[in-house]
Amino acid sequence: MTFLVAPTVLRLAPDELAARTRERFGGELRRAGSFAQLCLLGAQACLDAAPAGRSLGVLWASSHGARSAARAALQEAASGEPVMPFTFVATQPHLAATLLAQRSAPVARAAFVHIDPSGWPRLLSLAQVWLASCEQVLVGWAEEAAEGEAHQSDWCVLQKNPGEVTCEPLREARGALPATSADWLARVAAWLAAPRETLSLRGGGEAWRFAAGR
Amino acid sequence: MASFVRAAAVASALAPEVLPDLPLPPAGGDWTRRAENIARAVAAALKGKAGLTEGEWQQLPCLVGSSSHFIGAREAQPDATLGPPAEFAAQLARWFGTSGPAMAVNTACTSGLTALGLARDMVESGACKHALVLGVELANRLTGAGFAALGLLSATKARPCDLDRDGLVLGEAFGAVVVSVSGPWRIAAAEIRVDPSGFAAPAPNETIIAQVMGAALSAAGWKEIDLLKLQAGGSPAGDLAEARAVRSTFAVPPRLVSFKGAIGHTLGASGPAELALLIDALARGIVPPTSGFAQVDPELGLEPKAGDARSVRRVLFNLAGFGGHVASVALEKS
Repeated sequence: MTFLVAPTVLRLAPDELAARTRERFGGELRRAGSFAQLCLLGAQACLDAAPAGRSLGVLWASSHGARSAARAALQEAASGEPVMPFTFVATQPHLAATLLAQRSAPVARAAFVHIDPSGWPRLLSLAQVWLASCEQVLVGWAEEAAEGEAHQSDWCVLQKNPGEVTCEPLREARGALPATSADWLARVAAWLAAPRETLSLRGGGEAWRFAAGR
Repeated sequence: MASFVRAAAVASALAPEVLPDLPLPPAGGDWTRRAENIARAVAAALKGKAGLTEGEWQQLPCLVGSSSHFIGAREAQPDATLGPPAEFAAQLARWFGTSGPAMAVNTACTSGLTALGLARDMVESGACKHALVLGVELANRLTGAGFAALGLLSATKARPCDLDRDGLVLGEAFGAVVVSVSGPWRIAAAEIRVDPSGFAAPAPNETIIAQVMGAALSAAGWKEIDLLKLQAGGSPAGDLAEARAVRSTFAVPPRLVSFKGAIGHTLGASGPAELALLIDALARGIVPPTSGFAQVDPELGLEPKAGDARSVRRVLFNLAGFGGHVASVALEKS
């Protein structure tokens, strides 16, 4: 059986990100751009709320990824300025993984993927497989804000040890409520505040059922 | 359930010692049109080798490893809205003629191998019988500029493990692999880890590389191997760290090969691209020469050697990436 613990939903105005990061980590995170900061803030809040484990997988996703860093690198290159190594393509997710690995149980596996927002159940399916080699898997979704929106950094831990919520894939998606990367974990967290019957959510042709655990 | 490399194909720089399936067309012109042409050509080559039915091919999930995605298409219009990288993966899947779920995987230079590891998870868990893994790194100025800013590039050529090595040479590649429930090479282990000190360090951590190789050997249940495909890209510090890890893992280093002198360091594509070159060479019964290697560096103590490969059954396949991702995949001849 698979258990989901510490569902953590973070929404943050873009202009609050740097201050919140400094507050939580006691200073600047060297080289970390907004995407790495956002990932780390949400992931750390989740780990703070989860029971400690001995080995951790980290599997997280985003639709757009480090959008502001990519835009900055393109503009640097277009203006003829040197492209700085810590904004050029693809470095911010790795920086987040490295910074997290410095602060967590040993990271046995890590992968950052880009999936369509309806594909969030794929993360749970893969994380369930990873539980064969990791005691816990930290599963997340981070999205830098588009204009006028809030940053998103939603995380939970999947584990085999009993916890707040049991979760399992459903063979049949019919009857499950539609959800996306923007709201599936928020709905689990809201349901957990007053769990009644099971909660079934679907996306991308797959569905998962959540029930009270322990 | 076990998983296997069923077939692989690659377009890369034309290197006679490693014989890629297809040479890349010259860079320039419309980036997207060139990417489509390359993708369709690699798809045709792979489809011919994979032996799947049309229905099986169409259902393939597509996992794309890349560190740059379609950034090359955006360099001409830096103010344009960046589309999500998952859309790049979906576009590649359409060019390949597959309609299963698509995802882009981004763990820097190990992206393609991380995608292979996820495909292995999908096959071994029974989620699918076959999965398509792509490693794609096509021409763009940003990646070269970023590596240049880090001072990691050679002014001349890549010399893996060589006494005179002086840095990396970047390359383009489009590699493709079908991971399946059957095939000529069983994936006995796929270990991919993060070095907590990796981002600030000038080179991969030798201890982590040794741990990852050891974990792959342990997961495969092996003590010895017949061939080690090195990361070795010609970086002075990177090759030294890997050499120390190899010497601490094996009492006597196994036979060695590196492909980065032949096709360059193809970053996120290097896993699928080098895997395609490797299994093609082994199918032809040879361990190819390590292009760029001429003189042993006594500090490394490693000497890649070409030769007959008919006795090669167990292979360890290493990659180490910018940012501290380290990977080692164990492959066994079926």
